[in-house]
Amino acid sequence: MEIQAKTGMKQTGFKGRMNRIGKRLYKEKELWIINLFALVWVGIFCYGPMYGIIYSFYDYFPGKSLSESKFVGLKYYVEFFTLPDVWLIIRNTLVISSLGLTIGFIAPVILALLMNELRSIKFKRLVQTISYLPHFVSWIVVASIIFTMLGSEGIINDVLMKMGIIHEPLKILGEGEYFWALLTSANLWKGIGFSSIIYIAAIAGVDQELYQAGAVDGLGRFGMAWHITLPGIRPTVLLLFILGIGTLLNAGFEQQLLLGTPATREYHEVIETYVYRYGIQQGRYSFATAVGFMSSVLGLMLVLSANKISKKMTGMSII
Amino acid sequence: MRATYVKNTTSGRIFDFFNVVFMVVLAFVMLYPFWNQLIISFNQGSDTMKGGLYFWPREFTLDSYSYMFDKGNLGKGAFISVLRVVVGTVTTLFCSGLLAYITTVRWFSGRRFTRVLFLITLYFSGGLIPTYLLINSLHLMETFTVYWLPGLFSAYYMLLISSYMYNLPEALSESARIDGCGELRIYVQIIAPLCVPVFAAVAVFSAVNHWNSWFDVMLYNSSGKWDTLQVYLRKVLLDVEQLSKLMDEQRQMEGMRKLTPASIRAATTMIVTIPIILFYPFMQKYFMGGITIGAVKE
Repeated sequence: MEIQAKTGMKQTGFKGRMNRIGKRLYKEKELWIINLFALVWVGIFCYGPMYGIIYSFYDYFPGKSLSESKFVGLKYYVEFFTLPDVWLIIRNTLVISSLGLTIGFIAPVILALLMNELRSIKFKRLVQTISYLPHFVSWIVVASIIFTMLGSEGIINDVLMKMGIIHEPLKILGEGEYFWALLTSANLWKGIGFSSIIYIAAIAGVDQELYQAGAVDGLGRFGMAWHITLPGIRPTVLLLFILGIGTLLNAGFEQQLLLGTPATREYHEVIETYVYRYGIQQGRYSFATAVGFMSSVLGLMLVLSANKISKKMTGMSII
Repeated sequence: MRATYVKNTTSGRIFDFFNVVFMVVLAFVMLYPFWNQLIISFNQGSDTMKGGLYFWPREFTLDSYSYMFDKGNLGKGAFISVLRVVVGTVTTLFCSGLLAYITTVRWFSGRRFTRVLFLITLYFSGGLIPTYLLINSLHLMETFTVYWLPGLFSAYYMLLISSYMYNLPEALSESARIDGCGELRIYVQIIAPLCVPVFAAVAVFSAVNHWNSWFDVMLYNSSGKWDTLQVYLRKVLLDVEQLSKLMDEQRQMEGMRKLTPASIRAATTMIVTIPIILFYPFMQKYFMGGITIGAVKE
């Protein structure tokens, strides 16, 4: 170390600087070898596909190289907006994610508040553990459960018919107009417990002395929840809501692919499933890349502005 | 805790009662769908179709399970699923941990650059189609490698692990370095053993993700050579052609006549779900810490 520092001091100019960099690299050679491995990987698997966006400006077909393909500029970007079902897809994307951002957002907050009111710690822990079990199963499992329970021979129709509420089995799965409700309920069932964890953690962080002071001032339970707990978790709620706005274009993907049928297409097709259908299934790679790229640029802009708003309003951010 | 500050009023007790009732209903709503699948899978298929099956199988049978394992090749799917979970989790844990380690060595000159390069990938990616074309041009289609290599390093796991590593005293690795210990050895023998809690949390995330993923299997392994359990379930679920083929085979077999698509589907669902439920107590011990580490920067 000493000697290196000394020789480094003596050498000046370009040659000296290169020498110093060389020495530093030599000292860090093991770290750089490991790092090189990571850099090569990220270059191929993460930045490779980013480079691949260039396909969207060409008439690309698999098997041809890029130089053989015809440059078409923004043709596919423009084409997307001239298609008849484009507004349908944008509507579905926005409606589904807005439902998630309202119902799917408020429900976990309410659940966390109610759980906080439970007196038995053991019971609370048990309910909590049960509530986030569905988060850990795949969407295929959820879809299978839904098909079984809501199908015409499923238990829901069975019970409803025995109780005399309906006389014919409801066709919940095949009908388009039920789809948004079905999807929102499925998202809620799968996610409510897991999403509430962060609020429960935030509630645990509220200063206990405030409750004591509240009791002195004569606050009841509802008053404490309203005047102490809720303001206490407000920054967390606000932060997560603002960040949720950043994902407005991600309306889910697996759910739609599994639960959607050709009959519900008018209601389930969102941008991501559209990209999949056109790109992978029909082989229109350039067009689908263009649609996907537009959506992720818009998504990134949303995330960045949401982050900025969050920083201003709550002092917290994710980037 | 805070209940001690509150007087026990009548309205409070009424609220408590309804709150507990609500939680019991919630727990039921969360658990019953799994129970429903379980009893259908154990009940004779033709009997299930009569309806009225709510809490207990009426005509107990294991036919659906034995049929799926014999004819549906589920054993092979289970093996590939387990292999994917093990290989995928071990490799991503080792490599993402190593990445986290080198980005926490404070005097390493490539540290910031590498970190930023990976963090960008959290917010922007090339998207579905360019990734698909890349995997295709790398000749990773129809291979097992496609399950673990594209997920070898994860920026998210790097964040989780490195936020834990930052809190370790620097003197630990420095003293080993002075003693002539190599970086890889410092990581494996000194740093990693101290990071067991965060590694456990990441392992849970990664294992569940690998167990549950199906879209990449469908995308990159359309031939079915490396089908995992999830994809078998998807075929039973959505692939009508596949299912009717299965059912035709089944009709030719004696004693299997009472199977229905619903019972086969329920059995397959349970086979996919049971490992998650078995490991659940273990998992939930570790993931709780994981989701709050490094989630928010102030």
